[in-house]
Amino acid sequence: MSRAKNPGKPRQPKKLRVGIYGITGCAGCQLSIIFNEDDILDLLDLVDLQAFPFIKEVNADQHFDWVIVEGLVASEQDLATVKKLRRNAKYLVSLGACAATGCVPAYRQFTLKENYEHLLYRKQKRLKDVEPTPIDAHVKVDYYIPGCPPDKKEILGFFTAIARGIEPRGTDNPVCVECRKNGNACLLDQGKPCLGPITAGGCHAVCINGGLECWGCRGPTKDMNLNLMIDILRKKGFDDRFIRDRMRTFAGLKLPTLNRIFHGKG
Amino acid sequence: MTRTIKLDHICKIEGHASLTLSIDKGRLKRCELGATEGARYFEGIVRGRKYNEAHELTSRICGICSSAHVVCALHAIEDALGMKTSRQTEDLRVLLTLAERIRSHATHLYFLALPDYLGYESALAMAPKFKKELQQALRIMKTGNRLNALLAGRDLHPVSATVGGWLKLPRTEELRSMAKELKAVKKDAIATCRLFFSLEQPTMETESEFFSLKDRKGFAVLRGDFTSAQASFPKEQYLDFIREYHRPYSTANFVVKDEKRYMVGALARFNNNGEQLSPSARKMLRESGIALPSRNPFINNLCQAIEIVHCIDHAIDLCATITIKQEKPKKARVRAGRGVGCIEVPRGTLWHDYTLDEQGIIINANIITPTAQNLLSAQEDIRTFVSGHLDMKKDELIMAVEKLIRAYDPCFSCSAHFLEVKWE
Repeated sequence: MSRAKNPGKPRQPKKLRVGIYGITGCAGCQLSIIFNEDDILDLLDLVDLQAFPFIKEVNADQHFDWVIVEGLVASEQDLATVKKLRRNAKYLVSLGACAATGCVPAYRQFTLKENYEHLLYRKQKRLKDVEPTPIDAHVKVDYYIPGCPPDKKEILGFFTAIARGIEPRGTDNPVCVECRKNGNACLLDQGKPCLGPITAGGCHAVCINGGLECWGCRGPTKDMNLNLMIDILRKKGFDDRFIRDRMRTFAGLKLPTLNRIFHGKG
Repeated sequence: MTRTIKLDHICKIEGHASLTLSIDKGRLKRCELGATEGARYFEGIVRGRKYNEAHELTSRICGICSSAHVVCALHAIEDALGMKTSRQTEDLRVLLTLAERIRSHATHLYFLALPDYLGYESALAMAPKFKKELQQALRIMKTGNRLNALLAGRDLHPVSATVGGWLKLPRTEELRSMAKELKAVKKDAIATCRLFFSLEQPTMETESEFFSLKDRKGFAVLRGDFTSAQASFPKEQYLDFIREYHRPYSTANFVVKDEKRYMVGALARFNNNGEQLSPSARKMLRESGIALPSRNPFINNLCQAIEIVHCIDHAIDLCATITIKQEKPKKARVRAGRGVGCIEVPRGTLWHDYTLDEQGIIINANIITPTAQNLLSAQEDIRTFVSGHLDMKKDELIMAVEKLIRAYDPCFSCSAHFLEVKWE
């Protein structure tokens, strides 16, 4: 959870009017809320849940204190939904990687048009595409719960904090800090293309714990050293195309300097 | 006068869909069900990426069945590379698939389907009166998720499964202790069956053909031929018997050879493989009074409930018997080729198809999800149902139609698919 510029301090009302919405995405972030199996019933009791169309039939679409949004903006309908939710909420929270960075679907912006243009012409006519983009490309976001998927306990912590009127806090430490705490052997040292050093933590290094190198799903840290990371990967024998594509997979739109570094190579 | 019913945002489903019904002079003129999910073009996104990245990328198609996409992608890539994996790798992939199905069915049954039957707007609204039932649901979901996380590192978007095997293996003791957890939750699965058996199910008969994998060795999970009562095809030939076409209001529709629509999912699996269910699941099936084959799509919910019992039994068996050997993922020998993965997942049969160049770069991909295959069947069943119930009040009709849609357990996040497949 990182905090965006000066959203103001949340006040503590009686029970917060909360809405949870999904736009284009995989529904995995919304499931990660529900998959707090021991706490979900109490959790949703902490707030006045006004909307959650994924599991509710009756849903308000205005007068929210907090709106939590999963998904990226991929269609005109998504754009209209996000704008409307922003107008009707005091605080808007971006849940998961699609909302925060555009995640894997936004990688399309970096692929060759010929990779997907054969898929375009059969699209249904009434759904109009927009460039796949994170929510904050269109509206102001007050808080982020990043990750693909987000850590379900982090979601729990976020809800508990806002219900108590406490400012939710995330971490700016890179994944490596938690990874070392867990006693994992460094995957970079083993020659794997791990993006842990430049990626925001808070995930407890779940991928590295499971043997997989970090792909950067939580987005870059504020003080990352991107050039050093690229140098390290080059020295490990990875070519520029691989490094660029891997870095762009989950957070390409948040790494605009890659364009300059790789001079549009590949 | 034409009466139009338009449901622009159907709730309590995965992803986004809409339905339009036009009734004119006592006859249903128009019935269009379509995904309204923004397009994500996964089949284009994987092009240009390496063979060992496909599963990481396509996992993001769907949260609730991400493990299924991973296993299916791995099968397809290994097929393209001519790799054979170890028995242990396959057993653990079966277990991962079962774990996911347990939690997916429980989530669907209690959070999406059940509130309609009990007259509530949501499972949350049921909480004061049905706390015991919700707690049993959450225990089943938790056990499925814990097994998923033990094998794959977390509940969804698994991390440990890779081309050729596993990046990290569970310990044998962890599997044994998971067997105990599964045994403990079996009573909740049986209670779930009885709860769903007690609900009044609308009746109707679908004209769809029921397809699933069929495997002589047991209730099919990851292997077998794509089979119905009338036909059977090996997966490699799928482009010869599955055809897709497009309508402007929706994403792809699929039909099998001879232009017949078909249904995949728990009901199809039961109709084709019911005699291979575990003894406890068969006992539940007898108790349910369902006569197989059943053509009533509403029964899919009951089949899912019974299938949780079967999956728990199968998972207990694997957790109690697998003794983990420390083995590294097999090394891939990169070559050009094409491979097809076809497995049974919570909502039906899933297909992944990749073509690789000599460097192991993906140059083409085709992914067909269960919901994409079921879309036409669901739409035509709605047409049949509405045509037979035009005297119903609008609200009741909408509720019954939504119940029917949810019985299919559609996942519109998954359904978007835009690849052209040539049909001669």
